[in-house]
Formats: sequence, structure tokens, C-alpha cells
Amino acid sequence: MDKTLKSSERKSISYAKWGYIFIIPFFIVYAIFTLYPQILTIYNSFFEYYRDGLNIIGPNFVGLGNYVKLFTPNLSGYIPIVKYTINTVILWFMGAVPQFIIAMLLALFFTSTRLNIKGQQFFKTVIYMPNLIMASAFSMLFFAMFSMVGPVNQIILSSGWADQPIDFLAMKITVRSLIALMNFLMWFGNTTILLMAGIQGIDESLFESARLDGSSSTQVFFHITMPLLMPIFIYVFITSMIGGIQMFDVPQVLTNGIGTPNNTSMTLIMYLNTFLGISKNYGMAGAVSVLLFIITAILSIFVFKTIRKK
Amino acid sequence: MKKLLSAILAVLMIVSLAACTKPVEPDKPAEEGKVFNLWTWNDEFWGFLVKYYADEKVDDFTVKKGDVTIKRTTYVSDNMAYQDALDAALLAQSTAAADDKVDMFLAEADYIIKYTNSDVTADVKAMGVTDFSNTYQYTVQAASDANGVVKGVSFQCCPSALIYRRSIAKAVLGTDDPTEVQSKLDSWAKFDAVAADAKAAGYYMIATPMDTYRVFSNNVSSAWVEGGKLNFDARISEWMDHAEKYVAEGYAANASGVWDAEKTNEMFATGKSMCFFGPAWYFNFCMGNAQDPEKGCFGDWAICKGPEAHFWGGTWMLAASGTDNPTMVADIMNTFINNADVCEKLVRNEAQFSNNQIINNKLAADTSYGNDFLGGQNDVTVFAELAKDIRFEHITPYDQGCNEGLQKYFQEFLKGEVTKDTAIANFKDYIKTAYPSVTVE
Repeated sequence: MDKTLKSSERKSISYAKWGYIFIIPFFIVYAIFTLYPQILTIYNSFFEYYRDGLNIIGPNFVGLGNYVKLFTPNLSGYIPIVKYTINTVILWFMGAVPQFIIAMLLALFFTSTRLNIKGQQFFKTVIYMPNLIMASAFSMLFFAMFSMVGPVNQIILSSGWADQPIDFLAMKITVRSLIALMNFLMWFGNTTILLMAGIQGIDESLFESARLDGSSSTQVFFHITMPLLMPIFIYVFITSMIGGIQMFDVPQVLTNGIGTPNNTSMTLIMYLNTFLGISKNYGMAGAVSVLLFIITAILSIFVFKTIRKK
Repeated sequence: MKKLLSAILAVLMIVSLAACTKPVEPDKPAEEGKVFNLWTWNDEFWGFLVKYYADEKVDDFTVKKGDVTIKRTTYVSDNMAYQDALDAALLAQSTAAADDKVDMFLAEADYIIKYTNSDVTADVKAMGVTDFSNTYQYTVQAASDANGVVKGVSFQCCPSALIYRRSIAKAVLGTDDPTEVQSKLDSWAKFDAVAADAKAAGYYMIATPMDTYRVFSNNVSSAWVEGGKLNFDARISEWMDHAEKYVAEGYAANASGVWDAEKTNEMFATGKSMCFFGPAWYFNFCMGNAQDPEKGCFGDWAICKGPEAHFWGGTWMLAASGTDNPTMVADIMNTFINNADVCEKLVRNEAQFSNNQIINNKLAADTSYGNDFLGGQNDVTVFAELAKDIRFEHITPYDQGCNEGLQKYFQEFLKGEVTKDTAIANFKDYIKTAYPSVTVE
């Protein structure tokens, strides 16, 4: 073959195909590890499918039977999934509010050119640290610290603040607070860093001109920082919410899997885990997952819309 | 093409070489595996296996016996982690590589029926475990399926005794002699009366009401699940009332769980609780605090029958179907029930109560034998007497969830967080969620 033909062939090569080739690995992994299980979960949610001892029962098609069961009140007279959704939202809210306030303050301090805090890298690393610990290990640590014979109770007793040890792990308010505290500690560093990135993305000259015009810090925050930070803020907020819906390891370990007391710290995923734990009830667990998927999908669409608007 | 060809040739050559070097032994029966997989949820039995069976310890998870490597796979039993992993392995047994197949696994009284009544366990008589004459009948019954096929053996017998602090018994009862103490605690009515005395003397009768659970639950006359329905036996209800009373009256130190540090702290010398309940394994495995050289109270203990005979736990070795080491499975089982030397060492060195009646009776009659932890008392005498009364009845595959679930949820009531009715309803709801095949009303 002669050279002219070869060069004309080369000209016709479409480089776009390389783009597709390069993203193939992602789609393969996504299809195998996310899409397929997702479809299987939805499929399973319409079946009676569990283990009784080592015998596999089903799969028998039951239509919407599992969903009907899910919304049937239990012997205690409430609809479990509703109660556990409320629990999950409360637990998330208790951790997320302080998390956002503190993270916002820290982000403002760190990015402020007027404060110009030294050793920023150090602080950023330190506040991010708790996130590196496995949640279950963190929870185990709190379990040991706040148990009846743990160091916290020993301090309380020896300093005379109480005559009896306080059962932190049996009371609704303390259990919920501990879960919120752990989630706060684990996630405020992450939020701080995301918000800092957002604030640093704002044109510095806007802050300068505002200050030259004599606006106070509060005014700068509410009229410049916040409006311009909104897309990032909403993104962080919604991802935190999605993470909150999936809350599992911290309360699971802290409450021995039963959401003490009286199921008040039982989250949606812990409920899902009760179905899976002993009987591998893929039908009912599938139905819970599908509900979670719907909630999460709605939130994600909301995020997407908000970001696109800007 | 050339490369492919040469690769194929190379592979062929290696295969033919390997075929040549393989010795031909026509006389030997079917070759057994070189890797023996043992599944456990803790290292108790493993420790005995290392000491009394293996030739050489490689590391904490591997030992050698002859040319076979014994490997252990361990998952904790909390939240069903052990059974989850084990079930997955057993269900995949037929497709697993020979060296990955489960050969033997351990199971506990609470859920052994799940495995014995299934095809995942195999008949051990066919493998060569045939002599059960020395063992306690209930241990064989527990490891048999509904048709009487024996699927495994236990290396221990677990009659559970009342374990009391000698010094507290002296203060409350005026004596620490096991026979006299027993005569004052041989019924629940007497036990309750002494509990009031203990309180008056500034002590607690028990550390937590969870400790008495097994005494009641082993003496039920109906199972947890009868005819597919969750069933509360009268004795279970009796325990609930008893627990409620002991917490309300202050006869129990606290309402902690059986394994909680809050309870085991009561075993230190500073503890104020008089009675604990447990089998022989309990001394070593759960009374570490009592044996603590500084804060413990080694020797300040003794045992007697208590209000009712009962058993607690017990570990069975079950033969997995599809094992490629049947000879070794049988060998290990025979060693731990029929090897007199090993059984005697289990009692003497490990404070176990062996599953060999001859050895136990021999030591029970041996006046020179005594357990130092129990102030020189011959515990084998007490256990041998108790073992006669053990009943392994009314067992269902749902027992673990029911026993643990009831204790967890009832604890919330004992701690004053919920009403009794709520606690029971929460427990029922849990069973309903956890076991879809059980009808709960």
C-alpha cells in the first residue's frame, strides 16, 4: 500500500471513540456492581424470598405484598418504617445542624484574609482526622467510654457530680445525642473543607469592594458569601442528608443492633439489617431498599435541579 | 502463533513431568486433603486442639498434624456474624475447591439443630466415630438429626452450677460449705429468702437477672416455637417476674447483659454479688476478673447445684458434608471423647468437665483432686451429679434469636426505659421481623 492512502485513512480516524473507550471501565463496573444489584433488589422486592434455618423459602411472587406488610402497623401499634424514618431524620438533624454551623464558621475563619490564621494545613488535617476512623470502631470506642463502668462514668462519680453512674446507653436523649455527636465529629471536617473550597471560589475582589464600601462582616456574609456559596452549600447539605438516610454503623454498634431504648434510635438501614441478619429476607429488605432508593432519588433530583439553575 | 504454540508445548511438558514424578500408590485408599478447615467463633476449642492434638503450631490460625495443615476460620458470634459466614460457606461447599471446603465446624446448643437437621452435616458413624458409650447421652442426642443420625460430638458436657463467693456466703449464710449452702438454696423459695438476707447484709444475691435466665429456660415444658407460633412457656414468664422482682427489690447488682463489663466487674474482690451461674467453661472463659492476680479473688469461690439443674451452652464439633478429610474429622472427634489421656488433661489442666463419663467419675471419686480456683473443692463431683439431670428438650432452630432477643428487649424494661408490655411487644416485633416463618400474635 502506498503512503498517500495511509495518510488519508488516518485523517478519517474519529478521536471521539477513544473518549468512549476510556469511559467503558466505569460503565462496566457501574453495571456490575451498582446497576445489576439495584435491578435485582427491585425485582426481589416483589417476591417472598428468605431462609428458614438453612432452607431457602421462595422466591414466590407476591406482587406488592412486601410493601403492604411494610406499611402494616406492628404489635406495638405503629408502622415501623414510619417511626424509623422519623428516627433517622431526627438523628441526622441533631448531628447536621451543629455540623453545618461549626463547619461554616471554621470555613469562614480559615478563608478570611483579615484573620489570616496560621497553621491552616495542620488544623485542616486535624479536623478531618475523625473521618478516617472506621465508624464502627469509633462507635465501639464511645460504647466503651460511656458504658456504666466506662471512664466517663468514673470521672462523674469520682468528681461527685452524681452518686450513681449514668446509663448513657439506655436513655433516649443520651443515646441520640451520642449518635449525633459521633456523626458530627466524623463529618464536620469534611464539610468544612468543601465549604472552604466554595468560599475560595468566590472572587476576592467582591469581598474587598464590600469592605471598602463599609459593610460589616455580617453583611458580607449574608449578602455576598452566602448567595454565591449557595450551590455548593446546597450540594453539601443534600449529600449530608443522603448520607444521613443511610445512617447505620454508628447506632448499630452503639445500641447492640436494637436501637435502644424502645427502638428510638433504630434507623432505616438498621431495620433493613434486621430483615437480612438472621433470615436473609431479600424480599422485605428489597422493599425497604426500594423505598430508600425513591427517597434518595427525589433528593438527588432536587440537588441536580438546584445546581443546574445557577 | 509461534508464541502460543510454544506456550502450549511448555504447559504440556510441565504436565507430563508432573505426571512422571507423582508416586503411584495403588494400595492407599482415596487420597485425603492436605488442608483441614475448622470453623469456630472463638479460640477456646482451638487452644485444646493446639495443645492436645496438633503436632506443631505454625501461628494463631494454623497448626500441623502429620502432613495435614489445620486452619481455623473464626468469626465472632455477635449479631449472627459466625452463622452468616458459615452458612454461606456451607451452602457453597459443593462448588468450593477441596482445600477450601469446610471439614469440621463448631456449633453451640442454641443453634446446633439448624445444622444437624440439614444436609450440610454428615453422619460421623460412617467416618469412624462409633463409640459413644463414654459420652453423656444428651450430648449425642443434641448432635443427632430427627432420624437419630449422629452428626457430631461435643468435647465437653455443660451442666451449669451455682457459683458462689465463699466469703459472702459466710457473711450471709454463716457457712461456705457447698453441702450446707446447697441445702439453703435448693429451691427458688429458699433462694429468694436468702436474697433478702443478702440485701440486709449489704450484698447482692446475683449480679444481674440475666444470669438466672438459663436456669429457667432450660426447664421449660414447651418450645419457643410450637406449631409455627411463638410461644411463651410458663417458665419464661416466671423468669420475667423473677427478674423484675430482683431488680425492684435490689437483690441484683444491676440489669446488665450476661457478657457486660458491668456484670463481670462484680467478680472482682470488691464485688458484692454472691451468686453466678455457669458450667465448667465459665471459670476460665468468663471469670477472668475473679482470677485477676491483683484485683481478683482466686480461691474464694465454690459451686453447688442451686435451685434447679440446668445446662448452658456447650460446643459441638460437627462434620461438614463434602469434607475431604473424613479420617481426620473422626480422629479429632474420637480424641476428644474417647482418648482417656486427653480427656483427663482437659479436666485437670483446663478446668473443663469432659464428655467422658469414665474420666469424670474417676476424678469425682478422687479425693486428692481439687480445683484451686474453687478453694480446693472437687467440682467434678458436683458436675457429675448435675450431668445426670440435663435435659436437651424443646429445642428449636429459633432459640438463639429468642433467647438473646428476649434478654435484650427485657433489659430495657429492667432498666426502667419502657413498660413490661412494651418490652414484650418489642421482642415479639423483633421475632416477627427476624423470623418470617414464625407466626407472632
